[in-house]
Amino acid sequence: MSTVLLLRIWRFAATRLLIVTLAALVWGWLLLFFYSQFSEAIRQLATESSIFKQFTNFGSGDLFTISGSITLGTQHPLLIALIAIFAVGGAALAIAGERQAGTLEVLLARPLPRRTYLLTQLLAILAMVALLVGALLAGMAIGAVTQGLTGQLELARFPLMWVNGVLLWGAFASVSLAISASFDRPGPAIGLSIAFLLLNYFLEILGSFWTDAKWTQEYSLFHHFQPSEILAGKADPLDFVLLVAVILIPLAYALWRFPRRDLAAPA
Amino acid sequence: MEGEGRFDALPAIETERLTKHYGSVRALNDLSLEVRPGEIFGFLGPNGAGKSTTIRTLLGYLHATSGNARVLGMDVERENVEIRRRVGYLPGGISLYGSMSGEDALDYLADLQGQPAARRAELCDRLQLTAHDLRRRIRDYSRGMRQKLGVIQALQHDPELAILDEPTEGLDPLMQHAFYGILEDMKAAGRTIFFSSHVLPEVERVCDRVAIIRAGELMALQTVDDLLARRKRRITLRWRGAAPDLSSIPGLADLQLRGDRATATLAGEVGPFVRAIASPALEDLTIEPASLEEAFLEFYADGEGPAAGRPESGAGAAAEGPE
Repeated sequence: MSTVLLLRIWRFAATRLLIVTLAALVWGWLLLFFYSQFSEAIRQLATESSIFKQFTNFGSGDLFTISGSITLGTQHPLLIALIAIFAVGGAALAIAGERQAGTLEVLLARPLPRRTYLLTQLLAILAMVALLVGALLAGMAIGAVTQGLTGQLELARFPLMWVNGVLLWGAFASVSLAISASFDRPGPAIGLSIAFLLLNYFLEILGSFWTDAKWTQEYSLFHHFQPSEILAGKADPLDFVLLVAVILIPLAYALWRFPRRDLAAPA
Repeated sequence: MEGEGRFDALPAIETERLTKHYGSVRALNDLSLEVRPGEIFGFLGPNGAGKSTTIRTLLGYLHATSGNARVLGMDVERENVEIRRRVGYLPGGISLYGSMSGEDALDYLADLQGQPAARRAELCDRLQLTAHDLRRRIRDYSRGMRQKLGVIQALQHDPELAILDEPTEGLDPLMQHAFYGILEDMKAAGRTIFFSSHVLPEVERVCDRVAIIRAGELMALQTVDDLLARRKRRITLRWRGAAPDLSSIPGLADLQLRGDRATATLAGEVGPFVRAIASPALEDLTIEPASLEEAFLEFYADGEGPAAGRPESGAGAAAEGPE
């Protein structure tokens, strides 16, 4: 790992990261705020409309329990878009973007092995993801305290939820980085990375809305991030193992592929 | 800087039958050359000739299809990280982070290099890049300023070998002159410079030896002086009275007579020619100096094969002995 490169990546992303971290913190707080203020009203609406009730199951969550609200909030498109800025966009541009800009040329003129470059990029992105998921959970913890919900929430299980969240987004980052290591232009790298994210999201949401398609959720990485299960003390170790595997397999491919690639002069 | 003779045990660069194919396209074909320590070596060829492919293979950006190459005695495939520790590289059309200031970019690249930027202040001074300039963001730099920054980032850590791709691109004549001075000082300090260029007068001016490459094949590898000595010179003669007999003068070709004037080309030494035409009737004689540009263009004349300009050792130019 190159400390110089790592610090540079963080410094380069600092302003955006600060803004998104604050947004994640506020989002976490809002989840608990909405739950404490509106869950009863929504429960009543749901009993009057079966279609509405089905919609409250968005992303395997619900609006009637605190853990269900948290699950729902962590799978909201807005939050996913915020974290994907770094975990997917940042990773997809880490190599292909620098290639097209011509800046990778200058960096790799230094005694910096390509594998070190790749691992440092992944580490930098994982640290950003860890910060964002941490901010989200910190916001939830603050929300629980300010809304008087600490009795309903096992805060001691938050660290495991944090690990689960970091592994989920780490998996997306690893896949995006492997895609980035295979392309010279950022367009295809970003396109494929976003397509992979959307496919996973689609499979998860489809199964949550449509009972007959529930099996599709098993094939979505999002389904292996289970805040409700963790908060209920029923975390499945296989979810963690699977996400770790999804981090390691694309990483192994990228570590094999990137040093062997010809890097022609940027167009 | 350390003195001369520090690295003269091994060639600075050595390629042996280096070949690079992109599918069916042969970018480099059996390229064998040697760059001696402490020399300024010019690498000439038009766009697409294989100059950048050679440089990128030497630095590990590309992997050779066959053949091998060594830089500072190290294998380019297995030891390219150590090579990059000891080499300074200026890519053609360098790109740097636009949002960074010039100073931050130089600091960052020096930190990645892991060596102090011992020559930065001197280089900035010689290339007239002021402290104020260095504080500005790179996106606000002119093309010339970016190129200056590129030269400085390549040389600031005082590398043993500098590999420079089109280094004077975008520099004004004054800065080109300053740059030549930097190269000459590096050479005096025992450093080796390998640079590709389209600007033939600058190669003629600063290089000890040149390699000319065409379609991935080495056409010539000679000292600039030897290359020029082989070239044809354009001759113009004027005389009084009857036309002298020029047909039997060795080396003279393309003869054209127009009244009291003749033009021709002359290959080889000038002395025998001057002796042959010496006559009281001779009124004027112009011998244009041989230029590298003409030499270069000759190698690209139709029908000329790769072996035409090679030294006697042919593809074994690398084995050419000391001059």
